[in-house]
Amino acid sequence: MSTPPLTARGAGLVACETCRLVVRPIAPGHAGHCPRCGAQLESRRVAAVERAWALLIAAAICYVPANMLPVLETTALGTTEPDTIMGGVVLLWQTGSWPLALIVLIASVMVPLGKLVALGWLLVSVQRGWTQGRADRTRLYRMVEFIGRWSMLDVFVDTFTVALVQLDPLMSIMPGPGVLFFAAVVVLTMLAAYSFDPRLLWDPAEPRESGHD
Amino acid sequence: MTDADEGRELPQARLTQGRRTHLSVIWIIPILAAVVAIGIAVNRIMKEGPTITIEFRSADGIEAGKTFIKYKDVRIGQVTDVELSDDFSKVLVTAKIAKNASGLMVEDARFWVVEPRVTLSGVSGLSTLLSGNYIGFAVGQSKKSNRAFVGLEDAPVVSDQPGREFVMTAKALGSLGVGSPVYFRRIQVGEVTSYQLADDGKSITFKLFVNAPYDRFVNAETRFWNASGVDVALGANGLEVRTESLVSLLAGGVAFETPPFAKPEGPAPAGTGFQLFDDRTTAMRQPDAVARRYVMYFDESLRGLSVGAPVALLGIPAGEVVDVSLEIDPKMGRPRGRVEIVAYPERVVRRLSESSEQKGRDVIENTASRHAFFKRLIEREGMRAQLRSGSIVTGERYVALDFFTGVPPATVDWSLAEPVVPTVPGTLPELQAKLESILVKVDSIPFQKVGEDLAKTLESANRMMADLDTQVTPELKTTLAELRTTLATADRVLKGADNNITSADAPTMQALQQALDEIAGAARALRSLADYLERHPEALIQGKPEE
Repeated sequence: MSTPPLTARGAGLVACETCRLVVRPIAPGHAGHCPRCGAQLESRRVAAVERAWALLIAAAICYVPANMLPVLETTALGTTEPDTIMGGVVLLWQTGSWPLALIVLIASVMVPLGKLVALGWLLVSVQRGWTQGRADRTRLYRMVEFIGRWSMLDVFVDTFTVALVQLDPLMSIMPGPGVLFFAAVVVLTMLAAYSFDPRLLWDPAEPRESGHD
Repeated sequence: MTDADEGRELPQARLTQGRRTHLSVIWIIPILAAVVAIGIAVNRIMKEGPTITIEFRSADGIEAGKTFIKYKDVRIGQVTDVELSDDFSKVLVTAKIAKNASGLMVEDARFWVVEPRVTLSGVSGLSTLLSGNYIGFAVGQSKKSNRAFVGLEDAPVVSDQPGREFVMTAKALGSLGVGSPVYFRRIQVGEVTSYQLADDGKSITFKLFVNAPYDRFVNAETRFWNASGVDVALGANGLEVRTESLVSLLAGGVAFETPPFAKPEGPAPAGTGFQLFDDRTTAMRQPDAVARRYVMYFDESLRGLSVGAPVALLGIPAGEVVDVSLEIDPKMGRPRGRVEIVAYPERVVRRLSESSEQKGRDVIENTASRHAFFKRLIEREGMRAQLRSGSIVTGERYVALDFFTGVPPATVDWSLAEPVVPTVPGTLPELQAKLESILVKVDSIPFQKVGEDLAKTLESANRMMADLDTQVTPELKTTLAELRTTLATADRVLKGADNNITSADAPTMQALQQALDEIAGAARALRSLADYLERHPEALIQGKPEE
C-alpha cells in the first residue's frame, strides 16, 4: 500500500456507524448526530485505544485469578474438592478423555489468552502506526469479535452443573470464585474489542492524532 | 467573529489538542480488577499457613488433597503431597496448615493417622469409615515452632483431655496394654497411654492418664495395682476372688485407691512415679511405720505357717509373720520352732471403737505405757499366742493372740530386742494328740493274734466240713434209702388198716354194726319204758302190775 487510499476522515467526512450514511461533520472535533438515523457520529471512537487498553488490562488481571481460583467446588460425602480449570483439564487428560481435555483447554484457556494477546497486539500496532499487514490485522479483529460471543460457554456449563448436581447430603457442586473472574475476563475482552475502533488500523501514520479523538 | 475582523492580520489562536492530564474514567475498571485480584491474592497469602512435612512409616489411607489434619475434629490442614523419602523407607506427607493453626505447629506437636480402631475396650474412629482416614493432631507444650515432624504410629490415647499422667513401674506387663482402663472404685477414670521396657530390662514403665476430675484422687499415698482378669488368692483367710469389671477381665486394667490409713497431702503432681502392685492386697498393705518385732517359740509343727501369714488379736489382723525358722532350745537342748512376727499396733487401734480409740492411741504412743499394757495382758490376763488353722482345705495357719485361762504363768522381758511372746499349744496339735492316743489304743489290739486264731478256727471248720462230706454223706444215703423202705411199709400198713376198718365186710365194721343195732334196740326199750312210765307213773313205786 504505497499510496494510502482516501478515507472519510481524510476527506473531512464522517460515516454513520449505524446506517453507514456519509455526512459532513459540524466541526472536526465535534461530529454531531446522523441526520438520517439520529445516531451519534464519531469520526473515530472516543478514546478508543485508551478504553481498549484499560479494559484489556482489567481482563488480563482477571485472567490470573480466573485460572488460579477454583471454578467448581465438588462436595462428595463430606469432602469438598475444589477444581480449577487447569485441574479439570489435567483430570480429563488423565482419565483418558483427551479430546474433551483439548476442547476445554482451547476454549477455556487458550482462547481467552489468545484474545488478550491479539487485542494487545492490535492496540500496539495502532499506537505505533504500523502500516504493514493491515488487512490481516482487521481479519484478526473480526475473529476476536466473533469468538467473543462464544466465550461464555464455560460459565454456562458451570451454572448448569451447579444447578443440576445438588444431591445433598451425598454430593453437591457449588460455583467457585474463579468462575466470576472467568466471566469478567470474557465480558471485559468483549468490551475491549468493542471499544477498539478497527478504522484506526487503516488510518495513515499519524499516531499522535488518531488515538485521542 | 465578523468578516471585517477576518482580514486583520491578527494572529490566529491555535487550537491545541489539550493533553489529557487526567485519566479517563475507564481506567477505574482495570484498577478495580487489580484491587480485587490483589485483594484476593493478599487474602490467600494471608490465609496461607505454613507448609509442614510429617514422616510416617506408611501412608495408610492418606491421599493428597483428600486427607485433612484435624484437631478436635476441626480441619486445620490439608495434605498436599504424599511421597516416599529419599531412601524409600518412609513416607513424607506434605500438608498445608491453616494460618490460624500455624501457632500450633510447635516442636512437640504430635501427628498420627486416625483409622477405625476396634479394641476390647471400645470402638473409635468410626467416622473415618465414610470420610476416609485423617491425620490426628495433638498440641505440644513447646514454644519453638517446627515444620518437620515425625508421625506417631499409634494414636496417643489421650491428647488434650484435662487430667494428669502418672508413671508406673511394674515387674511385668501382665495383660495390660495401651488403652487398658484405669479404675477408681470400679469407675473407669483413665487409660494406660503407653508402656515400655525399662532401660535395664528389669521392669516395665507404664504411663497412665487419669482424667479430670478423678485425677485429684491420686495423691502421693495412692496405691496402684494390676486389676487384670480375676484375682484369685488362696491364703489363711480363705479363697478370695476379685475383679474390677468384665472389660478388665478381657482387656486388663489398672485400679487405684488411697489406703484408709494414708494421710494424703493433696493431689500428686503430674508425672509422679508409682509402683504398680500385683494385686490389691499387696497394694493396700500398710507400710506400717510403727512395726514391732516379736518372737514366739512353738513346740509343735510349723507346717502350714508361711511368711506373710496373719497375726490376729481376737481375730483382728494385728501383724504378720515375717520369719519361720528353727532354733535349739537352750534349756531342753532340742529344736523348737521360732516364729518372728511384726505387730502393727496402729491396725488394731484403728479398729477400736471411738470411745476407746484415744485410749489405745495413748497406749501405743508411749513406750512405757505400751510395755505396761502388754505386760498386764500377758502376765495377768493370760494372753498367749497360738497356732491355728485358717483353712482346713489349704492347711494354711495363722498366729492367734487370745486370752486363755489356766495357762502356766509367763513374763515378758522388754529388755530383749525382740521380746518373746509366750505361746500355748495349738488346737490342732491337741486334736492330733487325742487322735494319736486313740490310735495308740487301737494299735495295742493284737490284731495279728486275733487274725491267726480266726484263721485257725476257720481252718478247723473247713476240716469238719470236709469230714462231713466224706463220712457222713454215704451213711446219710443208706439212711435215706432205709427211710424210704420204712415209709413204703408204713404206707402199706396204713392201707391195710384202711381196708380193715372201712370196708363193709371188715370184722370191725360188722362188730360196730352189731353194737349200733344193740344200741338202737336199747333205745327202743327205753322209749317204751318212758311211755309206760308216762301212763303209769305209779309203776315207779308199785312196779308193774302183774298181768
